[in-house]
Amino acid sequence: MEGRIKAHPILEFRRGKRVKFYFEDREIEAYEGETVAAALQANGIRVLRYTPHTNRPAGLFCAVGKCSSCLMEIDNVPNVRSCMTKVKEGMHVRRQNKRGDVL
Amino acid sequence: MRHYEAVVIGGGPAGMMGSITLGGKDVKTLLLDENDVLGGQLVKQTHKFFGDHAHYASVRGFEIAQKLQEEMAKDPNIKVETSATVIGVYPNNLIVYAKDGKEFKVTYKKLLIATGAMEKQLPFINSDLPGVYGAGAVQTLMNEYGVMPGKRFLIVGSGNIGLILAYQLIQAGAEVRGIVEALGKIGGYEVHAKKIKRLGVPILLNHTIVKAIGDESVSGAVIAKIDEHFKPIPGTEEEKVVDTICVSVGLTPLSELAEQAGCKIEYIPQLGGYVPIRNERMQTSNPDVFIAGDLSSIEEATTAMIEGKIAALEMAHNLKSTDVENEINDEIQTLSLFRSGPKSEKIRIGLEKFGINVKPVPEIERHGVQIGPQGKLRAIIDCTEEIPCNSCEAVCPFGAIHIGENLNSTPVVDYDKCNGCATCVIACPGLAIHMLKEDVENSTALVGIPYELLPLPEKGQKMWALDEDGNYICDAIVKKIAKYPNKTNIIYVEVPLEFSQKVLSVEFPKRESPFVCRCEEVTLDEIERVIDSGITDFEEIKRLTRVTMGPCGGKNCKLVVLGILSRKTGVPISKLSHGTSRPPVKPVEFSLFTKRDDSK
Repeated sequence: MEGRIKAHPILEFRRGKRVKFYFEDREIEAYEGETVAAALQANGIRVLRYTPHTNRPAGLFCAVGKCSSCLMEIDNVPNVRSCMTKVKEGMHVRRQNKRGDVL
Repeated sequence: MRHYEAVVIGGGPAGMMGSITLGGKDVKTLLLDENDVLGGQLVKQTHKFFGDHAHYASVRGFEIAQKLQEEMAKDPNIKVETSATVIGVYPNNLIVYAKDGKEFKVTYKKLLIATGAMEKQLPFINSDLPGVYGAGAVQTLMNEYGVMPGKRFLIVGSGNIGLILAYQLIQAGAEVRGIVEALGKIGGYEVHAKKIKRLGVPILLNHTIVKAIGDESVSGAVIAKIDEHFKPIPGTEEEKVVDTICVSVGLTPLSELAEQAGCKIEYIPQLGGYVPIRNERMQTSNPDVFIAGDLSSIEEATTAMIEGKIAALEMAHNLKSTDVENEINDEIQTLSLFRSGPKSEKIRIGLEKFGINVKPVPEIERHGVQIGPQGKLRAIIDCTEEIPCNSCEAVCPFGAIHIGENLNSTPVVDYDKCNGCATCVIACPGLAIHMLKEDVENSTALVGIPYELLPLPEKGQKMWALDEDGNYICDAIVKKIAKYPNKTNIIYVEVPLEFSQKVLSVEFPKRESPFVCRCEEVTLDEIERVIDSGITDFEEIKRLTRVTMGPCGGKNCKLVVLGILSRKTGVPISKLSHGTSRPPVKPVEFSLFTKRDDSK
């Protein structure tokens, strides 16, 4: 997978089992234990939602659950922080449009 | 609903140290943290920490987190709930948190809030564009998940986080095109800045980012010089070709939960923003609520741990009347020592607003860089800024390095005692120490450079020796690679004696050379090297490099190669042999020859 660090002088990455999930119906490969946002960045996907008022693309900003820039629709639930949600096999992830639909 | 004597919110260095201390005093403690792994921001820090050895100096951040996790796991008094998001603190000492989609309630007698901080925003045009990240986000992606979110980076802000991030990006294989800093001086530690400067990263002072360029994602940045009012000076704009921008303009405490818990909050810019008012023992205006770490003031992990300990000791005293007086006073004294240097001036001013004064500490001693006796293998320490760290003094097996009682003092070396063992080189968190030995007879010098990059060179290999700004000064031959378990290795290179005091870094020679033969991918550099080795016959150059032997049959490059040969040898092209042309002159199917029908 592109966007992944292969060799590092200090760290050894013990990546989890490979899993597949869907981003806008496109199959994405990821590793168990990583967040949806991290897996998407690794696959070169930066636009995570479009904003409510001006329809601008928004992406990951803080990656630690504080800024709410990375809200996505995950398994039909809108406004989920994709930086705090771990990938799961078969998960369906979508870009959030505006504020998301109330179910 | 469960009840605990003590609840700690936030499992970073302050919260973990607080929990460990509470557990050690027999207080039944619950630690709540939103992440699935404890350690807070320590888990993404790959650099060695400054400080003293009682506070994990020379240990890398993620390893400190592991050590604290191990300590906590041993204590049955501590219950840990990870992936637990506290959503509010309510009257009657009630906390509500979410975990696995369910709501939980818990009450406390005493609460330690160690929620830390978040990165400050810097609004500029398109600062909301995907590809503009907080510096911490990129650290999380790289160092926790092994994900590299870009190739070419611009960093905004030269505080310690920005400087460390630049170094970590280079370690992970990315390119850092520069750091812009609005102020006229670098914000972070000098040793962190020097580490990246000698790797060639420019730090542009009095500069800011004006805008990010891109439609759906960053594809560039416009930076500009700024005037004394921090306004961009028209005409100084410059475009940087980057695909990722990292903002590191400081942190601000996360004080919402403390506010809900009834703590009085004040805006103290020197401490980072809105902070709870508290006393020297970390107790807030609500006597049941304590704070520690970045929530109380934006500082280092070391001071966060000490504050966590002080808060926990006072909580234990409140709960069980445990005698903690001496322990607390010792910790307050240590904290005063850590805060006595010039880099902590802001913190001291901020704390004075709460009536907290740093205790008197031994005076800081200042020493410049010493060169030592020529000809002896020895450590050269370039550490002249007063920062709280005495790791070199602590590790030297020969007692050759002196810092003294105030760990903000700069080191002084006794070269009669230094035996060249390099233990200090690999321990120094700032990578500010290198080895040197001159050989006057042979007019060379051996320089040992701390190296934390991949790949490692090989013995005998030629590298480029660089100065403090990452500029090439001379070639260097690798003599020895000393590997160490803490992954700070030392590369010993031989350089001409005249450059012995200038060489501070090495890099692999950059082979940026234009491609001459596009079929066989042969560069100008490769062709020139063959000619320089004495081979001046075109046919021989062809066979050695494969120029002109690809599918185009030399139509693209033949004349260029002959031009190079002519220039190097002084023989006009007209006098050079230009080889023999053989069929096929165009690429055709091989079957054309195998299915040949000779009758036609």
